[in-house]
Amino acid sequence: MTAPLFRLDGVTVRRGDVLPLRDVSLAVSPGVATALVGPSGAGKSTLLRLLNRLEEPTEGIVSLHGQPLPSYDVLALRRRVGMLQQAPVILEPTVLADLRLGRPSLTPDEAATLLQRVGLAPEQFLDRSTDGLSGGEAQRVCLARALAVGPEVMLLDEPTSALDSFAAATVEAAVQGLLADGLSVIMVSHDLRQARRLADDVVVLIGGQVAAAGPSAEVLDSHESEDVRRFLAGAS
Amino acid sequence: MTAAAAAPAGVPVPSWWGVGLSLVLVGIAGFVVMRARLGLTRELAVSAVRAAVQLTVVGYLLSLIFKHTGIPGSLGWVAAMVLIAGRVGARRGRGLPRAQLIATCSVGLATAATLGLLVGSGVISSKPIVVIPIGGMVVNAAMTATSVTMLRLRDEVASSRRQVEARLALGLPGAQAFAPHARSALRTSLAPQIDSASTVGLIALPGAMTGLIIAGVSPELAIRYQIIVVYLGLGAAAMAAVTVVTLGQRLLFDDAHRMRPLET
Repeated sequence: MTAPLFRLDGVTVRRGDVLPLRDVSLAVSPGVATALVGPSGAGKSTLLRLLNRLEEPTEGIVSLHGQPLPSYDVLALRRRVGMLQQAPVILEPTVLADLRLGRPSLTPDEAATLLQRVGLAPEQFLDRSTDGLSGGEAQRVCLARALAVGPEVMLLDEPTSALDSFAAATVEAAVQGLLADGLSVIMVSHDLRQARRLADDVVVLIGGQVAAAGPSAEVLDSHESEDVRRFLAGAS
Repeated sequence: MTAAAAAPAGVPVPSWWGVGLSLVLVGIAGFVVMRARLGLTRELAVSAVRAAVQLTVVGYLLSLIFKHTGIPGSLGWVAAMVLIAGRVGARRGRGLPRAQLIATCSVGLATAATLGLLVGSGVISSKPIVVIPIGGMVVNAAMTATSVTMLRLRDEVASSRRQVEARLALGLPGAQAFAPHARSALRTSLAPQIDSASTVGLIALPGAMTGLIIAGVSPELAIRYQIIVVYLGLGAAAMAAVTVVTLGQRLLFDDAHRMRPLET
């Protein structure tokens, strides 16, 4: 059995009286796509943000390759663990400048390769202003920007939920390309069909706890727990 | 015309009777406010009374300081102004971590550096009669810049979390992730001070110059003080704003370069 990429042991996150995550223990495999699904407020995004230390557990340990996350330099960790937010956040006036944000030394050739990786034609986009980008184009530029720093794993926080179906399909195709390249992907998704299409493993979170976890076909079809069955029936 | 008392320099100043008569102007303002049903009559009256009481107390206190306390007294007075200005500035940044500390340090540092430089180099006198009024103008400029910067910083924190986290997620340190928002806050807070310096004397005669002219100093001489005051104001405002942003940036992020939420 391969050593886990990430491991969570007894992780609880407390915000005042609210517990977004309660005693979560979980192992995430490397080189595969893992989908975090569950109803709103289940703690999916909180769990994702723990993995690049944008959140800190109140209790428990999160490890990467067997080492607790605080043992890594946090800035270096965030370069290894890239993140794509729910809605595209463009930060610079041109595509090239945006791609260079995390890596100022990025050459135009390297930027062109990144754009190709996310399905954007470099000749059309490299020198383009970011003003007129559509939602799908902007989200793929954000994905390319995250890839520019050379992450070994990408965290995707509902990357298509703010997009129309056409734009969502273009982003999904870009993610499929990354998976084909062997990049590890952990994604929050509200769309079970998307999880089924993209993910090798699925984790169902309900009420801040892991209700089911395992290979996607097994979790999405077996419906062992009543809570999971109810969620899957409602979400599909 | 009302009877006028004579100031030491022979400059006529209004009598208390004349001061009382100027209350008619507050009456006119009150009438306008009442007629327009703005609901500000009580506030106007309280402000007018407060202004009179505060200025009277300050006048007598300053007389005491000028006569008896020398440099320690004037430094104490300036320090008190800094503390009050820090409290006022902090109100605008409510929710920012350690807002009171940031505002007080910013006003204090700006005042100490600018006023200290000019007094230390002998450009202006260290006598209380000079240090206190000039210090007041410096503190006021620093406080205004601090208030606006705190307000803008707070707005930036509230509105820019997604952008800042997008930069943090690329491995940028907190200060670098917040830098564009810090620059925006600085630009906004310094613009009024720069505008005010560029129109000084054209739109209204500024305070220091007005005071000196009333006291009988010729306008050609009065402008020297005014130029110094304008430059002091610019320097103090810039220093205060930069200090707010520098301290704010430091306190906004924790050790793991996460932006702290605004305090409720």
